[in-house]
Amino acid sequence: MATTELKSDAIFELLKRFLETEEGIAVKNKVNLVYQFNIAPKKMGFDEVIYTIDLKKGEVIKGQYEGGKPDATFSLKDEDFIKLSNGKLNPQIAFMRGALKIKGSLSAAQKFTPDIFPKPAKL
Amino acid sequence: MAMRELVTGGAACAVPGSSSSSNPLSALANALTGSSSKTRDRIKEIPTSTTTGTEPPFYQDATAEDRLKALPGADFDHSFSRHPTLQSSEFLRNFRTADQNGFADAWEEIHRSGPPPPPALLDHRLPPPQFQPTLEGPPQRVLSNFLHSFVGSSHGGIPFRPAPLPALGLSEGDKQCIRDRSSIMARHFFADKNEDFINAQVNALLSSLDIDGDVQAKGPFAGRFRELEDYWNESQGAPRHGPPQTDGWVSEFSQHRIEHGDPNAWAHSFEQQHGPNSWASEFEQEQRLVSAADQMRGANISNLAAMEQTRMLAHTLAQNNDPKFQNSKFLQFVSKMSSGELIIDDNQVKPAALSSPGDWATEYQQKYTAGPSWVDEYAGNQLSHGPDQWANEFSAEREQRPVDDQWVNEFSKLHVNDWADEFGRQVGEGAFGESSADNWADAYDEYLNEQVVAKQNSDASRGVYVFSDMNPYVGHPNPLKEGQELFRKGLLSESVLALEAEVLKNPDNAEGWRLLGIAHAENDDDQQAIAAMMRAHEADPTNLEVLLALGVSHTNELEQAAALKYLYGWLRHHPKYGTLANPELSDSLYYADVARLFNEAAEMSPEDADVHVVLGVLYNLSREYDKAIASFQRALKLKPQDYSLWNKLGATQANSVQSAEAILAYQQALDLKPNYVRAWANMGISYANQGMYEDSIRYYVRALAMNPKADNAWQYLRISLSCASRNDLFEACDSRNLDVLQKEFPL
Repeated sequence: MATTELKSDAIFELLKRFLETEEGIAVKNKVNLVYQFNIAPKKMGFDEVIYTIDLKKGEVIKGQYEGGKPDATFSLKDEDFIKLSNGKLNPQIAFMRGALKIKGSLSAAQKFTPDIFPKPAKL
Repeated sequence: MAMRELVTGGAACAVPGSSSSSNPLSALANALTGSSSKTRDRIKEIPTSTTTGTEPPFYQDATAEDRLKALPGADFDHSFSRHPTLQSSEFLRNFRTADQNGFADAWEEIHRSGPPPPPALLDHRLPPPQFQPTLEGPPQRVLSNFLHSFVGSSHGGIPFRPAPLPALGLSEGDKQCIRDRSSIMARHFFADKNEDFINAQVNALLSSLDIDGDVQAKGPFAGRFRELEDYWNESQGAPRHGPPQTDGWVSEFSQHRIEHGDPNAWAHSFEQQHGPNSWASEFEQEQRLVSAADQMRGANISNLAAMEQTRMLAHTLAQNNDPKFQNSKFLQFVSKMSSGELIIDDNQVKPAALSSPGDWATEYQQKYTAGPSWVDEYAGNQLSHGPDQWANEFSAEREQRPVDDQWVNEFSKLHVNDWADEFGRQVGEGAFGESSADNWADAYDEYLNEQVVAKQNSDASRGVYVFSDMNPYVGHPNPLKEGQELFRKGLLSESVLALEAEVLKNPDNAEGWRLLGIAHAENDDDQQAIAAMMRAHEADPTNLEVLLALGVSHTNELEQAAALKYLYGWLRHHPKYGTLANPELSDSLYYADVARLFNEAAEMSPEDADVHVVLGVLYNLSREYDKAIASFQRALKLKPQDYSLWNKLGATQANSVQSAEAILAYQQALDLKPNYVRAWANMGISYANQGMYEDSIRYYVRALAMNPKADNAWQYLRISLSCASRNDLFEACDSRNLDVLQKEFPL
């Protein structure tokens, strides 16, 4: 494990496990879309790490989606992704600020809400 | 490319490889000359147009035009008193002027990145099929040619038969633009045709460009003014569903945003675009709508409300110190409006009002009835959404913000270019229903509020401790003792206050800071916990409890590197295991090295619960949850009464998606310490992750009742409320009204 790991990694890992649970499957069936996330460690657009959340199959893959085009692609900073996933940052606000860039279908993007992410428990 | 350059054939217009006319507008004019005489006349108004017509100008007689030349046009105060027909022609002129700018814009957009098409293509004598071979190449070129073929179809008044197009990859913004412009332009080209024909032409164009012509039906803010719209429709008889000028307003707005960026310029450009009179007309129109609604209700409140609104608007605008803006006619107009100078008998819809010259309503009425159909269309649509929305938004915003200037500042800080651009695009796509348009508006409000909060919180996130206001323990003779006492009793929030008083009194008291940090951690506030622990660490750099607590809090905040540093620090400063630490390591820490060292330590003394605790935290960092669970369970065998250990076990189980087991562990922690806010909040998370949202809400509310400052819990609560479809409680959640929430969700 390198020390330069993203905070987002933990959330994606959690989501991956979560999608195997009953509730995770329910979320998957509800959304049924594929999202790609380009997570930048510090600055938008630089050294992005790509994650694919496949809510059609219920998978989280590190890397690009291989089954075609994702329904929507989000680009944002690691820090903002954490805020987004725990509900601290409203996706629309992030978008207005330019902290979140969206590519792809906007109606698909609209279906992305912080509640698809399980929340990490605190030690 | 400025209008002037377009017209005069300036440098920016040069057509590569062509020595002929380098004037796109005149080329366009040439293309149009074969059309109806009305069209030709309109083209003639472009100053350097090559068309030489002798027909009198359309819409207005020559004398009127001469007199108009003497009129500054923008000088609205004087123009009111003019003869009605004069005013009406001026109105039309304004409209057309605005629209010619529109032409230029459309032209500019088409040519933004591609070179202008060869003049030959503009020749109107070429029948449409001959354009087809040219429909290849870069999208800009294709689009440009395509639009020319549309223009070409106007000559014979024949139905437009679009040629098949390759995929253009038009952005939503472009589509929006084409949709709006083509509707307006079509009404110019086919001024002598009826509405159905025009619509058919435009629809043919749009559908072949794969643009949905009906999107405008869901205007961005339509939902909000449903009531007013209904009144309007009733009062007008048949509602109009015309082309997307409403959206056009939005796109116009966003375009100008992009061009000018700064709020002052907005006023100017708006003025330039439409002329103050036209703005006034719209506003006037607006007034009429309001009053029409009023009359139906038999009340006359909103007239006053509108005045008030304008007054506030004027006040807000007057806050701007820019002299340019202060002198702008826009502001003068608004001021006059608000002082009542301009609105006198405006709300007369009756034809009787026609007899009083100088009256705004009269003037408008005249224009309204005299204008060609697209003017109707424009005004009608504009009316139902545009100005009203704008003014309301503006004044609503103003009420929220105590300092008006700030609003302007905020707004200009917003990266408006991007934002407006994107917003226009989003709205253009119509991807959002009416309710989500509200979301956007809400989001904007939230954003502004957030800005304020962010200023307060930025200190906290930088690791600076934020003290509470109004601390009753300040001046207490022994706040540390009091704090320890309160902490033991489980009154975490109270003990926080007492301990804050202590560290204010003795800023170097490591124990005060440490306990304060622990209290915050148990109160589910890791940021404050970290801030306090940092101070404790400063005061006592080798305190093991502090180092462990920092490691744990940074782990919770997903700050891997920092967590690793403090956990390694724990090992290094431990009297027994310190020898294991390699001093060279401290600069560049690798997880594997640190984990190896701790495993060695655990082998050295398997009965030391603390080592297992740190190992458990480390395994959480690397997300080896099974190992982490094993470590915590081993530690719990040694220290079964440690409530924080039960919580750590539970949290680890939760993070490895064993929510049911986690809840049992949390229950143990809560049995030992009933006021353990963190465990209550974690309970809520576990229920939420199992889809039991109602239960999760109860636990979050319980946690918040004990510590209303636990921000995470508020956010999670909101998400659970949304998942449980209890949006009715959002307001209580947003205003942090615990009474309501506790009543609704007792535990």
